[in-house]
Order: sequence, then structure tokens, then C-alpha cells
Amino acid sequence: MTSPLPLDPPLPLDPSIAPPGTRDFRDAGGIPADRWRADQNGETLVPTHCCFCGVQCGMYLRVDRAGKVFGVEPRNHDINRMRLCPKGINAYQQVNHPDRLTAPLMRRSRDEEFAEVSWDEALDFTVSEIRRIQGDHGNDAFGVLGGASLFTEKTYLVGKFARVALRTRHVDYNGRLCMVSAAGANKLSFGIDRAANPFSDILLTDCLLIAGSNVGECFPVMTQYLWGARDRGASLIVVDPRETAIARTADVHVALKPGTDSAFFNAVLHVVVAEGLADEAYLAAHTTGWDEVEKAVRAYPPSRAAAVCGVPEEQIVQVARMFAGADKAMAMHARGIEHHSQGVENCLSVINLCVATGNLGRPGAGYGTLTGQGNGQGGREHGQKSDLLPGGRSITDDEHRRQICRIWGIEESDLPLAGTSMMEMVWQMQRREIRGLIGICNNPFVSLPNYRTVKEGYDTLEFHAQFDFFLSETAAAAHVVLPVTVWAEDEGVMANAEARVIKHNKAQEPPPGVRTDTWVMCEIARRLGHGDTFDFPGSREVFEELRIASAGTVNDYYGITYERLEETGGIAWPCPATDHPGTPRLFEDGRTAHPDGKIHLQVVEWHAPMDPYSEEYPLSLTTGRTVAHFLSGNQTRRLGALVEQTPRPWVEVHPSHGFRDGDPVRVVTRRGSLVLPALVTEAIRPDTVFVPYHWPMPTAANGLTLDALDPRSKIPEYKVCAARIESAAQVTEVPAPPTAPGHEAYPETQASRTDPRPPTSPQGRGTAERG
Amino acid sequence: MSEPTEVLEPDLAPQQPPGPPAKRSVTARATLAGAAVSLLLIVAIVLGSRLLRDFDSALLPYAVATVFLAFGVAYRYTVWVSAPGARRLFRRGIGSLFSAANFRKAPTALPRMAATYLGLQKFLGARSHARWAAHQLIFWGCLLAAAITFPLTWGWFTFTSSTGSGPGYEMRIWGYKVLGFDSLDLAGWLMFHGLDIAAVLVIPGASYFLWRRMKDRGAITGQRFAYDLLPLICLIVISVTGLLLTFSSIFLHGGGYEFLAILHMVSVVLTLIYLPFGKFFHIVQRPAAVGMQLFKYTARQDEQVFACKRCGEPVDTGPYVENLRGTMRDLKLGFDSFVEYCPRCKRVLRGNAYLTQVKKGFR
Amino acid sequence: MMGRTIFIDPGRCIGCQACVSACRECDSHRGKSMIHLDYTDTGRSVASLPTVCMHCEDPVAPCAEVCPADAILVTADGVVQQADTSRCIGCANCVNACPFGVPKIDLQAKLQMKCNLCYDRTAYGLAPMCATVCPTGALFYGTLEELQAERPGVQVADSFAFGDVVVSTGVAMVVPADKVRWPVPGGLPVVEVNGVDVR
Repeated sequence: MTSPLPLDPPLPLDPSIAPPGTRDFRDAGGIPADRWRADQNGETLVPTHCCFCGVQCGMYLRVDRAGKVFGVEPRNHDINRMRLCPKGINAYQQVNHPDRLTAPLMRRSRDEEFAEVSWDEALDFTVSEIRRIQGDHGNDAFGVLGGASLFTEKTYLVGKFARVALRTRHVDYNGRLCMVSAAGANKLSFGIDRAANPFSDILLTDCLLIAGSNVGECFPVMTQYLWGARDRGASLIVVDPRETAIARTADVHVALKPGTDSAFFNAVLHVVVAEGLADEAYLAAHTTGWDEVEKAVRAYPPSRAAAVCGVPEEQIVQVARMFAGADKAMAMHARGIEHHSQGVENCLSVINLCVATGNLGRPGAGYGTLTGQGNGQGGREHGQKSDLLPGGRSITDDEHRRQICRIWGIEESDLPLAGTSMMEMVWQMQRREIRGLIGICNNPFVSLPNYRTVKEGYDTLEFHAQFDFFLSETAAAAHVVLPVTVWAEDEGVMANAEARVIKHNKAQEPPPGVRTDTWVMCEIARRLGHGDTFDFPGSREVFEELRIASAGTVNDYYGITYERLEETGGIAWPCPATDHPGTPRLFEDGRTAHPDGKIHLQVVEWHAPMDPYSEEYPLSLTTGRTVAHFLSGNQTRRLGALVEQTPRPWVEVHPSHGFRDGDPVRVVTRRGSLVLPALVTEAIRPDTVFVPYHWPMPTAANGLTLDALDPRSKIPEYKVCAARIESAAQVTEVPAPPTAPGHEAYPETQASRTDPRPPTSPQGRGTAERG
Repeated sequence: MSEPTEVLEPDLAPQQPPGPPAKRSVTARATLAGAAVSLLLIVAIVLGSRLLRDFDSALLPYAVATVFLAFGVAYRYTVWVSAPGARRLFRRGIGSLFSAANFRKAPTALPRMAATYLGLQKFLGARSHARWAAHQLIFWGCLLAAAITFPLTWGWFTFTSSTGSGPGYEMRIWGYKVLGFDSLDLAGWLMFHGLDIAAVLVIPGASYFLWRRMKDRGAITGQRFAYDLLPLICLIVISVTGLLLTFSSIFLHGGGYEFLAILHMVSVVLTLIYLPFGKFFHIVQRPAAVGMQLFKYTARQDEQVFACKRCGEPVDTGPYVENLRGTMRDLKLGFDSFVEYCPRCKRVLRGNAYLTQVKKGFR
Repeated sequence: MMGRTIFIDPGRCIGCQACVSACRECDSHRGKSMIHLDYTDTGRSVASLPTVCMHCEDPVAPCAEVCPADAILVTADGVVQQADTSRCIGCANCVNACPFGVPKIDLQAKLQMKCNLCYDRTAYGLAPMCATVCPTGALFYGTLEELQAERPGVQVADSFAFGDVVVSTGVAMVVPADKVRWPVPGGLPVVEVNGVDVR
């Protein structure tokens, strides 16, 4: 089969044809082969953990003799047993990345360009703006937004900084977009906010139910626990509108319609009750509110749920029998059921199912949420949430307020009241109730829903400062950008999805011009006249205060020390004393953290998603992650191998819509529209389309999503809104990640960014499909 | 399925069993080739040195070593091009090389290939700039040294002075005067110190490679002493002892000269004899690769591109694919028709077969 | 099958490409990934297949056999090494002859490269990068006994059928218990049945 191909003269002398995928080496992460340093002698391995998701895999960073991080080596930590995902393997490339910010950027108005300035100048300007805004409009006119990828010490400091140094009630964090629904449900049911079981319990279970979590892509390393359970005979149930990698081989895949989770779980509970599979003895001994719940689920026969959820009736019965029939069953969920205007209810309906079948507080039987951010658990525990104080204390509880004021050494009257949630703060910016903002470790221009509103809110701010190590899309719109350390340049603790506190170690000195977030917050506080309460040379000193501040609370860290963490590889809180082993599994004694020790079951009623379907908008749009990228992509969109794997967003559509792979498709919602290449697959419901959210405007999924909030947790409804799709002329190109003036985003990593094709599969381009 | 454009060689008919008989015939042929080439060299030495009149008996061991070298190279070369993969590609290369049609179509292709490939070795630059630089140093150093020493040991060059000991010298090849020069001017100095210059080129190049083989984890992987380190050590020993000879004659008034001369001679002789059997064999092997390049280039000129049967992406040139399938048939690799699919499609087909025929899911 | 080797189970693979990134970290390939990750069921499911070198044992390394420059060596432990840099001429014979589609080629460098079982690691008792990090165990490195200790009852096959030819390999694949005795289909499309072209 010899076919002529058009040849452009001149013909190269060297052989120039090779089959697809055999000659492509651009997946090299941007490091040319002859600059690859394999000649490392005297390298040291620094034990630490990954900076990305809530699994918190252990890893070693390879450090050369000059003290620079240059590579990664798997670490046999018991969380991950040497396994790493592509993000984790490439994480180290951020550390000495050419795009790093190394000097403060400043401008007095948004019409000017950024200029590199000294730390003194940037901090003086920041402090003078804080003083001006708070002087003119009151303390609450200045807000702080933190992040859940910060070490716990820093999240503690964000809360203290806002309340003690700025004396503003307006402090919140990006975990508001992530874990708060589960947190709310946990608090309501158990009075304690964390997963009930360690990962290792998954290996002991007989039936594992995963609701709304694409584990294979968002927590790849956790898959080993799923597969380990199945190797030992466990059955796997996956509830997800898409047939993800774990759903593909699951025993039961419930491909329900987005936004119908609580109807489904109520129906499952209905079958459990109807078939007498409920654990009445357990319910009687350990719960309150079961009668009301039982009565409520009577209204959810499988026939009703089947119609609402778009799944077969038999599947609901099958799931109920499988889950309730198992000796030990576990349920885990993530953003898929939490990112809803009834996110808390969805979580509660899963809790109800676990409790009703007596699956709690035993090895292999229990419940948990999979936190998305590295410190999704730890970041919500110690006071950067608008309504919480350190140790999970409530800011509205007088006793709690007194305790914290004593620890912080401030007058109770000086401690502000509860603030508002992140999305609400944006609305307040629009209304000029908040006029100044410091953002630390977040990128709302990509991560918050309904981009237009977010942009308007931030643009209305009179002063906006951002801390980051790469110039994020949000930071690029600020007045002041303060360059801070990456995770490998400081030490601190994080709590993973098991609520296990683990220690990150410092692998290299920060580049000149870069400071730790701790230093920056303390320095601003000092300039505001609060130097005495912010005298922290480093994370260790903050942690010591945090230990004391959490002592005696539900989230008790008192018994955890850096030394113990290094000896043990991690301790699960509560850990009230330095000889306490920690608490990997909750409720073993059948008691919850409520004063009565009972599980407070809550009635859940399903309601339709907030964005109504219509003839114009008949489809459900759901958003989510892909394996090669993390959250707003400010980190991963700069790492060559990850950009190669997944260069751009796409829209996943069912073949019934008549599109072919790569066709430009316009996705339209009531908030806006995007043109993305189609990835046509039978692995998604025909009435649903999916767009991954890691890219900025004009390719941002959050240009489409709805800023409706759950009334209790204030989590936005990212996972469902009404949409339609239509064919378009041309796919929109992904913009380059922003960089400091005079810099270009490291070109070797951006080579494939402008490629208009969709990935081969949601997990990315096949290795032969690059180039 | 396409038909091979080349007819199978009759002497390689499938019924002929592979193994010992073929092997013996290869050995015999190789021995014959080795003997013939060494004999030719001996004749050339005798004639070139004007019936040994110009032959320097002090250099006898070197000359003998080159005869062994000639035998070894010819022997190894014959064995090498007798293997199916090499034989077919070699013939295609030779065919392209001596094709008048090719020459007419692209007269400059071959010289340009030889210059960029064999001379400048651009492909090494694509592997690593440092390795390219080091290899160029060794390459030109060795070439210079060989160009000087081989004719000298064979008695083909002579340097004579009418005044007895200079500074006026004349250089003769095969007895004919080629040029006269003054050993005190720059050109003369360069003529007399050509080998020192060669050593100065080789030492840093070989030292870089040796250093790399000590440090670089990629290079260390699977590294063998005799194959990877010995050649570098040989080059360094030869160059250093050679330089020391000059050093001794200039600064030490010949102190230690005899010992150094023997050490130098031993290292050179051993290196020459080892050359056909170790890493150095690539020196004689590599030029044939130009033939492969020309073979592919010729087919590209005729727009004979073979596309994958499944995805339609180009795989390689048509004649190349047929040549490879012939090689596979020679080797009794019965899946030669799979060559019609690109590697990606092979994997996807295998993945599909696994999903449909082995297992679809977890269990 | 080699004593300590890689076992591949596409059924466990989630297509995350951790192996692809990890392969780049192996010092013998310096920033170039040798592993292939293909999505083999596109348009229907997210199924994926990682491909490492299978280290063919019988016939011994077709890639090495077709090499015109004797550049591919097979070490005594059965590992088919990547091309020797001083010999390889970049002709791509191995790239196209390999029935598993494994070798890669750098045309500019005139050099073949392929998975060498992370010889820089396995030679010192470490597991290859891909199998070390694989989050799912779709790539497992060890002995068959170690594999079976982790996954009770698992069975493997180390022969693959390409038409009438069966290639047995050093690397094995997980198969269901009822398919252990049969060679795993290699994917070569059947074009002739009883001499009739059935395409």
C-alpha cells in the first residue's frame, strides 16, 4: 500500500518519516534532554508530601548539592505506598520554575502596568490602603480570603490576621467552594467534622459506595484502596453521571442525572426500610430523628426516584440490597454530590443510609468525604472560615469567643462577629460593602462560579492584594502581588482526607525576594501595630500556639508535635495528649461529639436544581476535574508534562447530539457561552454535558456555572446548571498563564496549549496522540 | 496486502534450514575476506615502501598490528553484513549508492550526507551538545593521527633532509617528493607535531566521556568495562604516552624515552587488534548507515510513502517497509504483515482484542 | 516470564498517565518518556492500556533480530536493552518490526530508545519507575508469587498470538483464570481464513 504524499521541497536529507507517537518526545516536561541532570552525586532526599490533593501522598524531593530541588523519588509512606499520580510526579517542577514571582508587583491603579518594587514599598502601600479603607468605611470594609492549600499553621494565621490585625468580620477561604457541604452535614449529624474512617478501612470493607467522585482522576492514588478492596471480594457501587475510570469496571454504575442525588439516596433508604434491611438495634441505641427520616423516605419509592434520576428502578433496589446486605459497607463522596444548592442534604442522605444500615465506627464500615484540596481538612479546622475560630470553635458561641480571646490576649469586644461566605463576599464587593481585599492562596477568577459577577466584584475593589508564587489570573488583576513560597520552601502540617495530620518538610531555601506567607502576614500585622500578637519567626511557633488554641476542643491537636509527626508519619486528630495515639477511626464507642453522644439524623427532601431547565436550556451542564490538572490550574497549567497530557478544556457530549470528535461546540447557559472542542463519548448521559474547570476565561467552565448557594453551607451549585449546545465556527484558544511584566510563560511548557483538539479521553491525550 | 517489490534471493530459499551450515559458510567467507584484505595490505606495504626500502623496521610491530587490524575488520564486516537485517539494508544502501538514476536526480545528496553525517556528525548534536563536541575532538584527533601514522608505519611516507638533520626537509610519498619545508617555520612545526596535536584533541574528548561514564546515571546503566571504558582508557593512554614522548625528547633529553616508546607501542598495538571486536567497530560500521539514509531518501524523492492500514498516518517509505518485511521473513518472524500497521494501531488493536476477548473490566 | 518482572492488568488501569510522567524521571531516559498509554476504546469508554517493553523471550527480541547494526543487546537476565548509542543508525527497523509497538525513535539523533525496565533501577533491586508509582497496580513489579500474595487467585499469561505465531515474553499480563492456557490475542487482524481474504 504505497501512497504518494504531497512533499514540500526541499526534501530533508535525514530520514524524516516515523510512525505516529514513536518520534514524539515533547512530553519531556520542557527540559531538553541534554540539560537533564542525571549526574547527581551527593543528592539528598527530603521526605515530604505532595502539595496537591487531599490524599497527601508521601514523596521524597531530590535536592542537589547546591540545595536546589531537582527531582522526585517515590516514598514508601503508608498513605500511598510509593504510588504517585502525574500531578505529584511533576509537582517538583514548580519549585525552580522560570515563571516564579520573585519580587513584589505593585500599581496604584488598574490602568497602570505592574512594576517590580521593594518589599517595603509594597507593604507600606498595602498598610496605608488598609488604614485608609478601614478609616473611611469601617473595619469590615476590608476582607481576607484564604486558601485550603496552605499549611494548617498558615490557615490559623489567616483567621487570626483578619480578626486580630485587621479586626474585620470578613474572612473566608476557598474551601467554601469545596468541602463545606460535607462539613455542614458532619457537624449536624455527628458534631464533629471529619471522615469517620481511615483509608485503610476501605481494604476491609465488603461493599464500597462512591458517590460523586471521579476517584481515578481526582484522587488517583486512592484507587489502590478501591482495587485492594475488590481484590478481597468487595463490591463497588459508583454513583456518577459519567462513566469514569472507576465506574467503567464497577459492579454497579448508577449514571444518574446531575442534581438528583438526594432523591436517589432517599429511594435507596426507602428500599432498605421496606425490605427490612435497616439495623433497628443500632438506630435505637445510637440515633435521634430516625422516625422522621423513615417517614420522609416513604415518599421516595424507587419508581419516583427512577423518574427523577433517570436510572432503572431495579438499579435502586440492587444498590440497596448490595449496600445493606453487606456485612461491612462504606460510603464515600466528594464534590459530585456536595457542589449543589442542596449539598448538605445530599451528604446527609448518604449519612442516613450508612447509619440506618449500622455501618459506622467499625473497621471496614463507615463513611467519609474525600477532601479535594491538599489541606481541605486542616484548612477548615482552625479559623479561616467566616463562622469558625481555632479548634473548630464557633464565633457565635460566647464561651468559645472568651476562650480564644484569652489565648490571643485581646479584648472580647475587639473580636469581630461572624462574617459571610466567599461568594457572598464577592456580592458585597459588587455592592461596595467590601472595598479592600487581601487574597492568600486562591484564584477566584477561575474557581468561583459565574465569572462575570466575580470579575465585576473584584474590579469594584478599591484595593486588592494577592499572595501567590505564580501570577494567577486573579493576582494579575490586583494592585499588589506579594511573592510567597511554594510548599517545598517552608515547613508545616496539613490534614488529609482521613484527618491525619502530616508534616511537610522544607526542601530548599526560597529564591531571593520570596517570603513565606507567615512572614508577610506577621509583617503587615506589625506595621498595623499588632507586632506583639504576631511574633512568629516560622511555622513551628505558629503550630505551638495552634496546639494550645485547639486543646480541649473537638479538633484537638494538643498531643501532636512536629517531632511526633516525623516519628509516626502522621497522627489523626483528636489527639488530646502527647502520649495519645490519635484517632484514626471515629465512633468506635458508639458516641458522637454531640453532647448526648447520639447521631442526629436529619430529614432530607429532594428539590430540583436552582437553574430551571427549559426548551432553550434542556441539558444539564456539570463541571469537574481532569487528572492532569489541579483546581484553577495556576500551578499545573505551567508544568510541561501536564500541559502535554491535557492541553485544553473540552466539552464531553453523547454521540446522540450528532457531533464528531473535535467539532467546535458552543455551550450556552444563562450566564454565558464558551466554544470548546467536542469529545464525543458514550460514557456520558445523553442529557448531560461535561466541561472541566481548570482553565481561565475565555475557556473557563465557570463562565457558565451558576452562583446559587446551598443555604446552609453556602457552597455554589457547580455540578448542575441548565445548558444547551450548538455547533460553532471555531474553538476558542486557551490563553497563556499570566506572568510578571517582562516575562513570558515558560515557552517549553506551553508548546501544545494552542492545539485546538480535545484530548483522546477525559484523562488526556494518549501518548501517541501528541505533537 | 502489498507485494514485496524485491524478489527473494534464490540462495535463501525457505527450505534451507538455518543454523550451522549457514554459519559455517559465513565463517569461511569471513575468513577468506579477512585473509584477502590482509594479503592486499601486505602487498601494498611492500610496493608502497619501494620494496621495503623506505620501511622503518623500528615500526614493524605497528605495521604487523595494522595487518591484524585489516584481517579483523574484514572478518567482522563480512560476518556483520551477512546477518539478515544488515544484509538487506546494506544491499539496498549499496544499490542506492551506485544508482546512476539517483546520482542524476540528486547529485549532491551523497556528499552532503557524508559531510553532515560522517564528518560533522550532526545527529550527535541532537543527542547532546557536549557529547557532540567531545566526539568531534576524538574523531578529528584520531583521523589526523591515523592519516599520519598509518602511511608512516607502512613506509609510504618518508621525511628526508639533504643537510642530514634539518631544518630543511622534504616529504616523499612512495618515493616521490611531494613538498619541501622548513621544520622551524609554522607549517613545518605543525607537520612535525601533527601527532601531538592529535593527542591534544583526543585527551579532552576522551576524558569528558570517561568522566561522564563515572558520573552520569544514564551512561552508567548497563555499562560494561571492556566495551565502554576500555576504549576510552586506550585512547587516553595512547595520547598521553605519545605526548610524553615529545616531552621527553624536548625537556628530558630523551629520559625515559625507551620505556615510554614501548608503552606507547603496546597500547597502540593492543588497541588496533581490539578495534574490530569492541566499541571501535562503529568506526568502520557507521559509514554504511549513509546507505540506509540514501535508500530512504531515494524513496521519499519518488514519493513512495507507506501509510498505516488502519489510521492512514505515514509509517515509513514503501521500499523500506518491503525491505523490513523481507528481513522478518528471512528471520522466520511470521508476523511481518503486522508491519502494515503503525505502532500505535498495533497497541490499540491489541488493547481492543484484550477488551473483547480476554476481559472487559476488573475481573 | 522473567523472575521479577512487570505484570500488566489493563482492567485496573485508570489511564491517569502517572507512568508516563514517572518514566521521564528514570535516569536512563533523561526526560523522555518511553511508556505508551493508549485509550483503546475511544468514543465508548475510558478504557486504557499501558505498554511497556514486553522483553520477548521466544523468539528472542524481534527488535534485536531485525537490527542491521546489532545495536540491541539482551542481557543475561532477559532484559532487552535499548539501542547502543554508538551502534544505532536510526533505521527504525525495530520500531516497525516490534509486534507490541514499543520502540521509539529520535530521527534527529538517529537513535532508537525504548523501555529497558528501568535498568538503572532494577539492576540495583529497585522497581521500575512506572510500576513503582502506578496508583492502581495496573503495572506491578515483582515475582508472580508476590503478585498472587497481593491479589488472591490472580492468573497471568506470558504468550501472545499474532496470527499463527506465538510470542512468549518476559513481561506478563493478567488474564482471567479460564484464559491462562491460551495465548493472549496480539491484535493482528485476521485477513485470511482458509486462503480467503475476509476484510
